Amino acid sequence: MAQTPSVLGTPRHRVDGKLKVTGIALYASDFKVDRLAHACLIQSTIASGTVIEIDQSEAERAPGVIAVLTRRNAPKLQALPEELSANGTPGESRLPFQDDQVYFQGQHLGAVIAETFEQAREAAALVRIRYQPGELRTDLLGLADQAIEPRMFGGRIKLQDKRGDVDWVWANMPQVRLVNETYSTPIENHNPIEPGAALAAWDENDHLTLHVSTRGVDLTQKVVASAFGLPIENVRIVCPFIGGHFGSKGFSWSYFLVAAAAARIANRPVRLVLSRPQMFDSMGQRARTVQTIGLAADENGKLAALKHSTLTHSSMIYEYTEPCGNLTRLMYACPNVQINHHLVHLNYTTPCPMRAPGEAAGTFALESAMDELAVKLNLDPLELRVRNYAEKDEFDQRAWSSKHLRECYDRGAAKFGWSSRNPKPGSTRDPEGRMVGWGMATAVYPANQQPAAAKAILSNDGSIVVRSATHEAGTGTYTAMTQFVADTLGVPMDRVQFELGDTQFPPAPVNGGSWLTASVAPAVVAACAALRDKLISLGVDGPSAPLSGQARNDIVIADGRISSAKDTSQSLSFSDLLAKTGNQTLEADGSAKPGDSYQKLAFFSFGAIFVEVKVDPDLGEVRVTRVVGVYDVGKILNPLLARSQLLGGITFGIGMALMEGTIPDMATGRMVNANLAEYHVPVFTDVPPDFGIEFLDVPDPNMAANGARGLGEIGIVGAPAAIANAVYHATGKRIRDLPITPDRLV
Amino acid sequence: MNNFAYVRPNDIDSALNLIRTRPKARFLAGGTNLLDLWKMGVEQPQTLIDISRLGLADIAPRPDGTGLRIGALARNSDVAEHSLVLSQYPVLSRALLAGASPQLRNAATVGGNLMQRTRCPYFYDPAFPSCNKRKPGSGCGALNGYNRIHAILGQSDQCIATNPSDMCVALAVLDAQVRVIGPGGERVIPIGEFHRLPGDHPELDSTLQPNELITAVDLPPMADTKHAVYLKVRDRSLYAFALVSVAAALAIENGSITSARIALGGVAHKPWREPEAEALIQGVSPDHAPFDRVADRLLQGAHAYRYNQYKLNLARKSVIRALSVAVASV
Ligand SMILES: Cc1cc2nc3c(=O)[nH]c(=O)nc-3n(C[C@H](O)[C@H](O)[C@H](O)COP(=O)(O)OP(=O)(O)OC[C@H]3O[C@@H](n4cnc5c(N)ncnc54)[C@H](O)[C@@H]3O)c2cc1C
Ligand code: SF4
Repeated sequence: MAQTPSVLGTPRHRVDGKLKVTGIALYASDFKVDRLAHACLIQSTIASGTVIEIDQSEAERAPGVIAVLTRRNAPKLQALPEELSANGTPGESRLPFQDDQVYFQGQHLGAVIAETFEQAREAAALVRIRYQPGELRTDLLGLADQAIEPRMFGGRIKLQDKRGDVDWVWANMPQVRLVNETYSTPIENHNPIEPGAALAAWDENDHLTLHVSTRGVDLTQKVVASAFGLPIENVRIVCPFIGGHFGSKGFSWSYFLVAAAAARIANRPVRLVLSRPQMFDSMGQRARTVQTIGLAADENGKLAALKHSTLTHSSMIYEYTEPCGNLTRLMYACPNVQINHHLVHLNYTTPCPMRAPGEAAGTFALESAMDELAVKLNLDPLELRVRNYAEKDEFDQRAWSSKHLRECYDRGAAKFGWSSRNPKPGSTRDPEGRMVGWGMATAVYPANQQPAAAKAILSNDGSIVVRSATHEAGTGTYTAMTQFVADTLGVPMDRVQFELGDTQFPPAPVNGGSWLTASVAPAVVAACAALRDKLISLGVDGPSAPLSGQARNDIVIADGRISSAKDTSQSLSFSDLLAKTGNQTLEADGSAKPGDSYQKLAFFSFGAIFVEVKVDPDLGEVRVTRVVGVYDVGKILNPLLARSQLLGGITFGIGMALMEGTIPDMATGRMVNANLAEYHVPVFTDVPPDFGIEFLDVPDPNMAANGARGLGEIGIVGAPAAIANAVYHATGKRIRDLPITPDRLV
Repeated sequence: MNNFAYVRPNDIDSALNLIRTRPKARFLAGGTNLLDLWKMGVEQPQTLIDISRLGLADIAPRPDGTGLRIGALARNSDVAEHSLVLSQYPVLSRALLAGASPQLRNAATVGGNLMQRTRCPYFYDPAFPSCNKRKPGSGCGALNGYNRIHAILGQSDQCIATNPSDMCVALAVLDAQVRVIGPGGERVIPIGEFHRLPGDHPELDSTLQPNELITAVDLPPMADTKHAVYLKVRDRSLYAFALVSVAAALAIENGSITSARIALGGVAHKPWREPEAEALIQGVSPDHAPFDRVADRLLQGAHAYRYNQYKLNLARKSVIRALSVAVASV
């Protein structure tokens, strides 16, 4: 009997695409509830000091105002327990309303609740706050001597680390010290299309339902329950769609606690949606980094020593370190490596992960430095990288689970035409007189798996629902998981409904680290496999079973039917099977966690990116005109989704390289470009028409999800350096500070 | 946003009456600048006078049949695509199309564009304590702050803001005339006198009086349309304000430049023209014209601050480039 061909690995359009383009998909702020009231945040307009008085009298008299929430009348929030507040846990440990201190511009001091959003907003503008200003810390370099040495990133990765003896090489082999340069990246903000949004509704039994745009429903549930001192089951978090997060929306941010508190004191459901300017102070950002890279190499370009030191900042109320050195430890073979991070607490909002945290900013520095080394040694930049190819993860002394980076280099170079590159900077002009430059960089990103669970339910109409408390951030979770269900249970994709984003579903990890597919798919497969087993049991076990007498091994599950491979007349649909056996539905649970190989092997994805830029010689405008990226990310489950992920990731890289940057005013700590007119992200014409993305599509033998390692963030890794290197090749100017705007080149 | 009254008069007299008698009244055209400023709390009108029904959106030759009269309510996109603008005043079309986004241009009007306010962040966000333009006497936050987009010409120690408009730079080289009507009747303001330098009154962007309405912009005929260029340097390829821009309109006859008009945008509180600079290439062969000297004369007296040093060089190179492109275009 013909098996249904697998839908895994085939191009599939998004199963939720129509819902999204027709506006039927409901995002956090779209849900309808009765008696809805609206909240608008009251925020600090200084960056450091103490609140002396909040005068809300005028706001209270404003039309439509229901209540004004401040520290005075806020429900007492409980400090978060250690597991939710220690360094490395994903969240601001200081809860709102804890004290009268102000630590950054835009800090939440309360909210006005009114009948309409406009009324809330107007009344919030009428609140007058008196402060006692405090010492202002805004200058990263000026306060560098007060930096601390943070120990761990995310509680997992050492931030001060070394192998071999870099200092000895540096001190005793001056002839090989070749690069010692400082690179910097500015503060950046995620700016997803959908802002942070929360809709909080309490019922009479002290149960809270919170629709909130979050990539961690389970984590948010813990934070909210803990803050309000409620049993965990009293809090339900719902989030079926996220309009992008890029690393934000994962922490325990204050605004949804404010929304829940507002709903409590107003005794009504309350909606709180962040404005675009609030997206710059209320939901994290990438901190500024100033990184020094030292490279020593022999005359053949073999690295002898590598040091990477990062100075960055966190807020006054949380320790989060942009971990720029993470990849430096293992990208290249090198006997002596030293990684340091220094952190200064400043009066800026709390930073958090953003688009390959550490990797994106860190590889900009490292891969720029490698390009500088290639120039010094008169070596082709690609050749330099091949000479320093890491055959294993030298830091943890582990073998790679699967690494085919050489093939990425080769295929990328061939597709791009790299071999015809004239190494001399400024040697090529296009017919319009623009300087043409080619640059490349390596991309690496860790592959992780987290524990996850799922439930599969077959209904008597033959349709299948599978549930897991995971997330859809626009990356294609609904589609990919539907493919896995269809594949495991042998049903067409349109018989499957995947449901996610609800704490009532089996647990799944926070969506981050590009691990969603690698974590959730194995759980989905396990649940579906368990359901499959139950179906077979129903079919064959016992004398009255419809396929009684058939051996389990001879049963085929395909096309929504259970059949005997031996006797094709013995076949019935899932719904008939349920009907004949007197079942309405059939359910099965499944879960998955990383296997043993997880400890023994190093799991990473790899890529090589090549770009062409054109630079106006007088005006300094840089355009990326061609990109080729070849990636080894394990098995490709859906080429359409995979390509979109890389397109987006590389486009973020273009933004990071050429235009993104949030700029603080040093005198006040307030951001000067907290809007999308002046915080530039790439527009269509910034993205090259010639976008060559290829995948090796080699399954990782040790990854549970059919060899898929998951992908997303790797797109932004490498791209900024490749662009900066191309700018150098075009102009002979090495720009070490991002973004590369025209003013840096004229 | 505060509560406000909304009125939509059907004729100019009613509009003028309303703006004179209603407290804190503002004309609403496309709303693309006014509403942004309102939401930020920079503007707080109590009466919004929607002027879209005043019949001011026509684009046609002036009553004497020459040149062009563009109604104050004509949309930026309609102006940019109008056949007479494309054929007679291509620099205006290019400048408009270099600005904002299609959606914004579909809403924005000529009058609103003339009146759009600076993008200085200290002006735009009332949470910044110092801005003489927003709160006279409060100081200038940009002077020692983040002044990357700020002026290098014609500024005062009270204010170093720039006029952000692309359209106005083109209007400057076209010698446009702004037609306005107020309680005292109609008057015509040459574009060079419409916007002012900040001096001691940075709160005033223009010479338009509080109760006056812009009705149209008149353009005199152009002899030569071939050698017209709009050059805009910006931080991304589209949809960004100019760091520096140049509008240039040359007339070339019998191998010599018979007239040269050059305006710089992004460098001052108004589009920047300098007759002495233009004179340097009048009567000169385009092949030997000293564009660098034109640039130097235009930028004479320029002064930059911590973050806008680059503008000195960028403006100079932009002028030279624009003029080179202008003579080369046929
Ligand atoms: C994101 C963004 C990007 C932009 N990028 C650019 C750019 O790159 N280049 C550029 O040049 N511009 C740019 N703009 C600005 C845009 O051009 C202006 O907002 C627009 O031209 C204003 O026109 P409007 O009709 O919408 O004016 P409105 O907002 O309606 O009015 C602006 C002001 O003019 C007054 N006013 C309007 N009409 C009259 C009249 N007839 N008589 C008297 N007073 C009047 C109003 O009372 C108000 O004070 C951008 C704007 C945005 C929001
Ligand atoms: S430059 Fe002008 S607009 Fe900007 S802060 Fe100074 S006074 Fe205000």
